[in-house]
Amino acid sequence: MQDQTETSEGETLAFSETLDVRSFLGLSLKNGLLNLITLTLYRFWGRTEVRRRVWSHVKLNGEAFEYTGKGRELFIGFLIALFTVGLPFLVIVGGAQFLGPMYALLIILPLYLGLPVLVGAAIFLAFRYMASRTVWRGVRFHLRGSPWDYGLANLGYGLLVGLTLGWFQPAASMRLAEKMWGGLSFGSLNLRWVPRASDGIYGPFAIGWIGFVIGYFVFIGAYMGLIMTSGLLPTPAEGGEAPAQPTFVFMLVTYAAFFVFALYMLLVFAPYQAALLRAIIGSLKIGDARFELKLKTLDLLGLTVSNIILVVVSLGFLSPFVQARTARFMIRRLSAVGTAPLADARQARKGPGSGEGLADAFGFSPI
Amino acid sequence: MQGEYFDGLTSRKHHVEVSVVAGEILGQGPGVSFRWPLKGIRLIEVRDGRVRLAPATGDGRLILQAADWEAASGLSVTRVQRAALRKEGWLVGVLAVVGISLTLGVFVGIPMAARPLARATPLELEASMGRNMSKQLQIAFKPCTGDAYGQDSLDALTSRLARDADMPFRIAVIPVHAPMINAFALPGGTILVTDDLIAGARSPDELAGVLAHEISHIEKRHVMEAVWRSLGVGLVLDTVVGGGSGAGQQAVLLASSFTEQRYSRTLEREADDRAFELLAANGISSAGMADFFERLADKTAPEQVNAAAEWFATHPDSGRRAKAARARAKAGMPALSASEWAAVRQMCPRSPNKPKPPWPLRRKGG
Repeated sequence: MQDQTETSEGETLAFSETLDVRSFLGLSLKNGLLNLITLTLYRFWGRTEVRRRVWSHVKLNGEAFEYTGKGRELFIGFLIALFTVGLPFLVIVGGAQFLGPMYALLIILPLYLGLPVLVGAAIFLAFRYMASRTVWRGVRFHLRGSPWDYGLANLGYGLLVGLTLGWFQPAASMRLAEKMWGGLSFGSLNLRWVPRASDGIYGPFAIGWIGFVIGYFVFIGAYMGLIMTSGLLPTPAEGGEAPAQPTFVFMLVTYAAFFVFALYMLLVFAPYQAALLRAIIGSLKIGDARFELKLKTLDLLGLTVSNIILVVVSLGFLSPFVQARTARFMIRRLSAVGTAPLADARQARKGPGSGEGLADAFGFSPI
Repeated sequence: MQGEYFDGLTSRKHHVEVSVVAGEILGQGPGVSFRWPLKGIRLIEVRDGRVRLAPATGDGRLILQAADWEAASGLSVTRVQRAALRKEGWLVGVLAVVGISLTLGVFVGIPMAARPLARATPLELEASMGRNMSKQLQIAFKPCTGDAYGQDSLDALTSRLARDADMPFRIAVIPVHAPMINAFALPGGTILVTDDLIAGARSPDELAGVLAHEISHIEKRHVMEAVWRSLGVGLVLDTVVGGGSGAGQQAVLLASSFTEQRYSRTLEREADDRAFELLAANGISSAGMADFFERLADKTAPEQVNAAAEWFATHPDSGRRAKAARARAKAGMPALSASEWAAVRQMCPRSPNKPKPPWPLRRKGG
């Protein structure tokens, strides 16, 4: 892809942030309370305010980013998704309950197969909306490519990941990232996807995969052993004895076991997650500048675990706080080597009028 | 006054001299000039004593010292910010009215409407829904094919119990293979009883207690009521709240699940009460119900823990149910003769390969 060839000299890229993460506690409380009294309808405006604040505290070469999205646009996106996808989906699935099992299966199965396509499209559309609402030096970002192309790739790669017992996952993640980040441009200045040979992600993935397989059997064995030997499992049913309800201690042990296993999974896959993020960001170039994310595995693990605890313990109330600290964490580790003609970008065309309805319905949001 | 200007066409920064003349902002710099009407000017941000401005339409941006801007334009930054706050206040007000109306509808209106709706549901519609659910469930839970005398005995017991009830449907009891102690009443009068429940019952009276309870659900059309309630609540909440984990979304979903389960427990108590009447009307001992609940109860946990756990459950705490049942239990005839009971227990021959339930499971269904 040919970048701008006008006369201006390239600039080096220096990222900085002035995020006061604690100030997001108040915003978290405000958004949470307003969400409660509005049956969460305020969330579109709340999310917009969080982004506006985060963006305005992130700077490139001393100039802050600006988020120009509006709560109203997210709300309209929600209504569009509701009436074009959500309600028809519920009506069809509900109506199928009145048909024979085979007919119901014939109707419902394709719908569920279509879900990965829809989820992929939703991710792409949300990213495209956010890019179009991100402005730096008065110029918008822009995402090229098709949401359905991304959705189909999501389905296809998902199937391949299944067929290869997970081993296609790193390749799938990189390919999807290429479709997303490789299509991004700052005004007329395209970002390019140029992977570095040095970014090996299969080694760290192997650690995670083997760790998972070993851990799975060890945990199942240890859990069953503990349950059997401790007598927490009342023996059911040799000719007439009804088993008791699960005891409180039994439930507690089970939840604790799930929790420990989830932590273990985060731990064994942390090197991969960190390597993947480094590889994705490291594959991006603008002009002659290559981005770099100096991300250590343990730092990412610490961030992930503390974020999960904060969100779970606060029932989601602290999400804005978590988003702000995540943004700060990433920006502090983001840099670029080389120069790019940033002053030469021409304005991109206007983005979509509304956004993220599908992503909202599926319950994910990049921030 | 001095300012920084981005023209919204390129990303080049321009240093400009800015003045306000006759209701317009004029900017002039090397190779660039602009003229924005003051009316409709947007205050994008105030930060560190500087303002970021944009014209009513267009992508240009102008950054000025806030004090310079206030002096030149006669516009107060604070006043603009207050106006924005007022606007947000209105928005929140409108959303709150909509949200509170929806909340009342979801947590009070739909549950209240569910019972009359259930009663008004055409019997044929409920029956056809039940037939499909029954077929779908029987894909996973295979019906027992054993002893015909056992099935006759079960049918006879069911007919006796249902004789005194105001039944909208003919009852069909189907024993099924399933790895749990459970019985479900489906829409349209079908009752599925699991083999583990039959194996786990120590007397025919215990089984009769369970059947009477399920028959009561059918008589009172509780199943259809639950269908309407969860359909209504689920539809509204799924569509309005979305699936996110954002601030408050999970709290609303949790509240809805507590509400759903509170209504569910109310129906269970109603069915328990009615089951006693049906057993008594047939002269069948109701001590079996108390025995059954007692064995289901978690006796190792303190009472407060069970009371708290009840919040998360679709059924009332078994310990309390057992106590209530024990208090009301009346002696009576056995529900089945020894030979009938033996035949019922033969209905689901336990394959030697069938694993025992891996761990005890709560009764979940009706």
